[in-house]
Amino acid sequence: MKSISLTNVQKTFGTGPNALLTLKSITLEFRVGEFLAILGPSGCGKSTLLQIIAGLIPGSGGDVSFGGVPVSGPPAGMVYLFQQYSKSLLPWRSVAGNVALAFEASNGDSRARIRERATGYLELVGLSGFENHYPWQLSGGMQQRVAIARALAANPRVLLLDEPFSAVDALTRVELQSLILDLWEKQKLTVVLVTHDVDEAVFLSDRIAILSRRPAVIEDVIETAIPRPRDAITTREHPRFLALRHVLMERLLSRPAVK
Amino acid sequence: MNSAAVRRYLPGTLAVLLALGGWEILSRSGVVNRALLPPPSVVLDTLFVVMKSRAFLTPLAHTMTLMFAGYAIACVLGVAFGIAMGRSEAIHNLFEPLAEMIRPIPKPALIPPLFLFFGIGVKTMLIIVVLAAFFPVLINTIQGVRWVDVTLVNTARTFRLSQTALTLKVILPAALPMIMTGMRVSLGLALTLTILAEMLAGESGIGYLILDMQRAFQIRQMYAWVVVLAVIGVALNALFEWVERRALPWRGQ
Repeated sequence: MKSISLTNVQKTFGTGPNALLTLKSITLEFRVGEFLAILGPSGCGKSTLLQIIAGLIPGSGGDVSFGGVPVSGPPAGMVYLFQQYSKSLLPWRSVAGNVALAFEASNGDSRARIRERATGYLELVGLSGFENHYPWQLSGGMQQRVAIARALAANPRVLLLDEPFSAVDALTRVELQSLILDLWEKQKLTVVLVTHDVDEAVFLSDRIAILSRRPAVIEDVIETAIPRPRDAITTREHPRFLALRHVLMERLLSRPAVK
Repeated sequence: MNSAAVRRYLPGTLAVLLALGGWEILSRSGVVNRALLPPPSVVLDTLFVVMKSRAFLTPLAHTMTLMFAGYAIACVLGVAFGIAMGRSEAIHNLFEPLAEMIRPIPKPALIPPLFLFFGIGVKTMLIIVVLAAFFPVLINTIQGVRWVDVTLVNTARTFRLSQTALTLKVILPAALPMIMTGMRVSLGLALTLTILAEMLAGESGIGYLILDMQRAFQIRQMYAWVVVLAVIGVALNALFEWVERRALPWRGQ
């Protein structure tokens, strides 16, 4: 079953002699319920690709469809989780108020009911009791948890993750990765993760799509074939994990730099 | 009071007392003409007499009503046009040259031409206060709206908020710190233009009284009303700071 399909997706920024071809031609199919990582070096256009999938920016060519329907704006059932959680949370709203933003496109619930639902999603990410705090009163990792709770509150089928763990410290990153895996299984989500972190891509995903340097094409799609459930410590010692990590690191590092 | 507070406020307080003391001495010793510059103690006495009289509240109410009416209209118009111009390139291109033509004119210069069309009275006074207070709110709102982080806007979009919800729930609160900066500048301008308009066109109000007292050579009363204005200025500023703290508890975090 297909979730999202990309056919010859292209993106050029600017026009004329200064035009920058970022995505050359991307064709990729996402399966329903899979955890797919898009891995590539910094500046290769991964985030641009994810924003095109999300309907946040238009592509310059090619087609994006979600559940068979062409994407022309942010579609229902798909939520984008931003790398910069601190810029994505509304600083004037409490933690519960931020989560409630996800319900507000389809209003109708009473205040008490909205509050109750927001509290439920905060519980899912381990933030019970922080409903009345403000984002700036929380650590970076907790802020990203709020953003995750808010994304889930929109009840999506697909979660688009834009390097969501790159701005937090190493231990928090491992915790958040486990949280995302847990939520992905429980909520039966399709997850698309954009990252430049080989370790993270291998640990989390079913398949890894490797993006070339700019102008980007998909070089390869690899099945990780590492057994689930995955464990923050033992999975990283699994022979298949180590072998994949080795191969991917080599591929990412050995490429010639952009001229 | 702890020593930090003493260090913060003591020198400034001493400077004020010293200035008042100097004024008192200059005036009482006759170095300056006492009739033109009565000592502060006398002005203070006069102030209390004025405040106790029934002639106090009417001009005060007149000035405050005119000022706040003009200020409120200017804030509503400034925020509405500012959001429209900040969000829409087309609306910005339509109104920007017009705004940039009127904005640099020192607003008092427009009072005489306005007299020609709206007469010497409240209508002209209100228009000039609105005109003066409108532009700082407009300019800051446009800037504030344009500076809203794209991540915040995209967050609203990924949650499929309507344009109205995006504007009211995300753009407006995100731009509020800048909007309030504009409103603060406008508050001072509104008071200034209200006083000036009352001097030129008024039949009541504090501005009218100050000029009237000077012409009638009621120098003490004139100074007493100037002191009233100073107190109003300080009070408005304190009120604004209080509102700002209440409205933006997240600012600077």
